[in-house]
Amino acid sequence: MAPPLNGRFFRAFTLIGWRWISRNPAVAIAPVLLPFMFLYFLRLITPASYFPGEVVGAMLFVSQNVGNWVLGDSATWRIQLALQDMFVASPLGKVGYLAGIAFSNLMAAMPALVVLAVVLAIIYPVSLVGWLILIGTILVLWLLFSAIGITISSRIKSRREIWPVGNFAFTALGMLSPLYYPLSTLPPALQVVAHFLPGTYAALLAKGGMGLITLGQGDLLLDGFLLIASAIIGILLSLQFYRWRVT
Amino acid sequence: MKSSFLTRWKGLGAFAATETRVQFHEYLSIASSILVQVIFIFFMWLLAPRSLLPFALVGSTVFSAFVIGERILDEAAYIRIDHKLNELYHASPMSPESYFLGMGLGVLAAYMPPMVFLVGMANWVHPFTVSAALVLLGALIGVWAFAASLGYALSTLFKDMRAIWPYATLIFNLFGVLPPVFYPLYIFPAALQPVALVMPPSAAAALVMHTLNLLSLSTGEVVLAALSIIVETLAIFLFTVYWARRFSRER
Repeated sequence: MAPPLNGRFFRAFTLIGWRWISRNPAVAIAPVLLPFMFLYFLRLITPASYFPGEVVGAMLFVSQNVGNWVLGDSATWRIQLALQDMFVASPLGKVGYLAGIAFSNLMAAMPALVVLAVVLAIIYPVSLVGWLILIGTILVLWLLFSAIGITISSRIKSRREIWPVGNFAFTALGMLSPLYYPLSTLPPALQVVAHFLPGTYAALLAKGGMGLITLGQGDLLLDGFLLIASAIIGILLSLQFYRWRVT
Repeated sequence: MKSSFLTRWKGLGAFAATETRVQFHEYLSIASSILVQVIFIFFMWLLAPRSLLPFALVGSTVFSAFVIGERILDEAAYIRIDHKLNELYHASPMSPESYFLGMGLGVLAAYMPPMVFLVGMANWVHPFTVSAALVLLGALIGVWAFAASLGYALSTLFKDMRAIWPYATLIFNLFGVLPPVFYPLYIFPAALQPVALVMPPSAAAALVMHTLNLLSLSTGEVVLAALSIIVETLAIFLFTVYWARRFSRER
């Protein structure tokens, strides 16, 4: 009999994401807290006109940071709970496993994204096209960084490595991309570095699409193309380097 | 016969040394322990007037001492939940308070280098006077003792490692980032400033900033901040010693 691979595993992984929140209410708050901490601090030290851009940056940071939680889940399931062997033995496949973990963590990030979207809607009039561009950008970042997270997780040997590796890979990279601040505020050398990070194109696309920064249509298309191209390359590389079967 | 006070701290040195060695293996954790601080300094350097940079640097040293509590929370829970080693430690002649304080000292020793780096940066940007350096030292010891006690006491409440991260993030960031630790007290709403001065991390930051002439506090505010650190730290430290003894018996 053929194995039931008709996408039902998404429901199971969604339930896992929801259960994590419902059993630990702080889980729903903590992801909001980190971007909100940065927002709060930036609100104190920067002009008020920067705030809408900082909220958009916080939303992109949350999406990117899902990769950190994917890393944590995947490594914990493999190292501590020895669950990955069971997934490998199941008909799920590694792409399904990646999609499932990414989806369950998107559920956990959803409260943060919704709160930030409400804040954005209150402080800045976003057009329908602006929302669509923002949602698209969030989805691309989520997929890309989830893939990176799960790939890194497959190389982690001890539970103790999860937190620092995740922090370096996602929080540090998140800060080097101009998510919370305009790209132009970076010194020229750091602007060059930022252009190697997909988060930069996500920030330019989302903020440009909403009119928070001035970009021509050609620039927007180019940023969109570069974001999608870097995501495709990143996902393909991740699938290549991800260790699914450990023999 | 040895006094009961000395017996009470049996094994402290050995366990602190063990914990220091264990922690030094976690060099990535040690390096990443100042990530948030570096981000705030980066934001301040990039986006704010340069006059605010010393505040962020002083705040980052105080915050580094405070988040040691989060590491202790994680470490104590890890030893107990994942390794189930605490039962072995508690069955040994080492006293429960030595276990708690030894862990705190070990983690402090291992996480000292990044903190020293931040102190060096703060001193470079805004040179310390001898009195400011002494106040900073006292403040860091107070904040560390407070955070270590809080972290250990909280660690005993968890049964699942996965639940620790969100709660620890909430507690240590709410008390360490939202109050004026990285930024001057005068930016904080006036009505809430006394509240900030009774919270050890922001009280310590305000005292150090005041001694460095970055901030002007009234005598009453200085007394409030200093007393808050001393009284709250002593109270939570004594409670944690009591709790460590009680918790070890219940295991």
